[in-house]
Amino acid sequence: MKRFILILALILPVAVSSRAAEPTVMPPAHEAYVMHFDGDWRVAGGLPEKALLISLQGLANRAAPQFYVIHPKDFQWEITLPLYEYYEHKYGVHFTELKTANAALTQFKSAVKGYVVWDKTVTTSLNVAFTIAGLEDAVVVTADLIPLVEQYGLKPIDDLRGRYTGQTDAQIYQDAVNRYWARCNKDAVMMMGGPRGPVMVPGMADWGVREKMFFHDLAANPEIPAELALEKRLLSELNPGATIFGWHPYGKDTEEMHTTLISSHGLKMEGLHNLPNLSFNCQFTFTPGFKFTNHAHVALDAKLEAQDKIYLSFVQSDSIGIGVWTKPGRGQLPFAWQVTMNWTKFSPAALEYFHESATPNDYFIGGLSGPGYMYPNHIPADKFPLLMKQANELMSMLDEHVLEIMDNSAADGNLGNADLTKETVDRYYKAFPSVIGFINGYGPARTRDLRGTQPLISYDYYIDPRRPREEVAADLEELIALNTKRPYFLLVHVRESNDVNSLITIVKQLTGPTEVVPLDVFLKLAASKQTYTTRYQDPADPKHFKGF
Amino acid sequence: MKRTLLKLLLVTWLLPLAAMAGDPAFNGRWRLDVARSTALDGWSTLDLVIQTDGSKVSLLHDLTWHATKATATNVIDTAAPAEVGNFFRLDQRHMAVYARPKEAAHVVATWIDGGRTLRVEAQVPVETSQGNTTMRLYDEYRLLEGGGELVLIELHSTRSRPLVYRFTKVPAEAAKK
Repeated sequence: MKRFILILALILPVAVSSRAAEPTVMPPAHEAYVMHFDGDWRVAGGLPEKALLISLQGLANRAAPQFYVIHPKDFQWEITLPLYEYYEHKYGVHFTELKTANAALTQFKSAVKGYVVWDKTVTTSLNVAFTIAGLEDAVVVTADLIPLVEQYGLKPIDDLRGRYTGQTDAQIYQDAVNRYWARCNKDAVMMMGGPRGPVMVPGMADWGVREKMFFHDLAANPEIPAELALEKRLLSELNPGATIFGWHPYGKDTEEMHTTLISSHGLKMEGLHNLPNLSFNCQFTFTPGFKFTNHAHVALDAKLEAQDKIYLSFVQSDSIGIGVWTKPGRGQLPFAWQVTMNWTKFSPAALEYFHESATPNDYFIGGLSGPGYMYPNHIPADKFPLLMKQANELMSMLDEHVLEIMDNSAADGNLGNADLTKETVDRYYKAFPSVIGFINGYGPARTRDLRGTQPLISYDYYIDPRRPREEVAADLEELIALNTKRPYFLLVHVRESNDVNSLITIVKQLTGPTEVVPLDVFLKLAASKQTYTTRYQDPADPKHFKGF
Repeated sequence: MKRTLLKLLLVTWLLPLAAMAGDPAFNGRWRLDVARSTALDGWSTLDLVIQTDGSKVSLLHDLTWHATKATATNVIDTAAPAEVGNFFRLDQRHMAVYARPKEAAHVVATWIDGGRTLRVEAQVPVETSQGNTTMRLYDEYRLLEGGGELVLIELHSTRSRPLVYRFTKVPAEAAKK
């Protein structure tokens, strides 16, 4: 998912107007600091100190990339350690470890003007505190951390204890909007959702603090109308092309509801709530001379002829960083990896790292749905062309020639209706005349098309990482038995945390004339003989979420 | 003598009827033992509510997937083959194999093994990426010794591995809740 001076000229035309979203010249080899976090994000445990440190990170990284955080191996974003090592050897960054909050405050106190106290009994107040932190150059603390920050001469800027006791989230955020929204960044909002209650993981808050974003976890749920109305107001007051960072609040709404709402405003998502170090990563550009070169297996203008066999192709979406990149077996099977193209702006070094560590079997594709995570059935028609022009430019920079589309607005998580309307398909064919083809879905879907040499193929299978491997093999064999025409094009979505070795085992169990091919080859073959139906979303197909 | 003959006739007449009827122990709510069953895909839990009424057998499926709840019922007839609309198939939902709700499944159901097994054969219309096709299902609902456990063995014409689902009876009082 979720990319030096020469390339800067290419990036600028597509960058949103956010000042900090524009990559700056890579600083020469320099000093920075690193902290290792543990996995304790409990409000009653490790969260308060982490929230303090993350707000400090956002402020410390305002002027220069100075403060980086490494998370444990089991953290959802597995890239923090490999990327740290990459910064060391490729960018020449020399890191000094900060072992304690005291050490971090000693190092970065000059970036901080004061502190804001949030209320552990009203956890929503943490998001309000983060908003204030960005606007007032403050760190966020709980009452028990006040003595710590006062040791460094920090003064109280605001105290939220008691202010929001007994109030609903809608009331709290309405008050925050009244007080702070006018001064906040209008190119980006921080939707600091994810888990709520006793555990919160605001790993992306450094970025929001640095960029002076408004933090919230308002629900995009029609059943919570006051929150939905307030979020609609915020979205409508953002600048065109703005980005919603973070993730939806678990338990209050669904990913499907929130992405539908954001897409209907022509805005794009960039997640997750726990994506760390953007305040650091955004300040590095690509190293001199670096150029994206994808591992293509077929020339763009080649014509292939499919044989009477079963062609399988594996795709990993969910953004490379939370995928199986670091797991065993990568490179042993052809694999397509969905790249969040916006990382050209927010994490160029991460993209360079992925490209440099790619094997010949790793093929990168653009997504999701456009220049960010969006549901295209809901993008306003008048906003679609400009968004897709941005996506085209980013894909060109990244040497990507396949676009992955996903619209789960009517789906139930990774199940159900993930189809595209004919109007949406028409728009994609018009906007991307040069791609090899399109793929669609997350769970299985049934939107398929072939226009000229460009197929649009949906996933026929989604591998749940928990499903026993022998059942996965049986499922694939059953699909092969049900789809009797040859060639059969079997596109498989591999969910994060599946490892490639297990897929090798599965493939070995398949009978018949099967061949696993790279996605570019797969699409070229699918263009040669259409044995799949042409189909779009049928209005009669069931919809899990009926819309707003 | 007349009475004995009458009794004999009654028994002779009732025996085939008994053979056609399912064991009453089938009736009630059965809960899938997920740990002892073939892994579901796209469903988290399953309760099967069986109700027999003459030759008719109602198989109600109460399903959950995270916060989603779904109910689907197949009413089948052990007296004669039937066309059953909107036939529910316990599907692997991460496969692009879709029901065709407007088309009926041809279903043949029979009580066998002295009423302790319900055999259901269904020709189920489905849609795949290559178009419409039919999947043949062969189900045996077997009542186990003691009547407290039920096993459903399902074969697909398109799958080499059987699917085995084990259920335990939900006590009547608990089933009402």
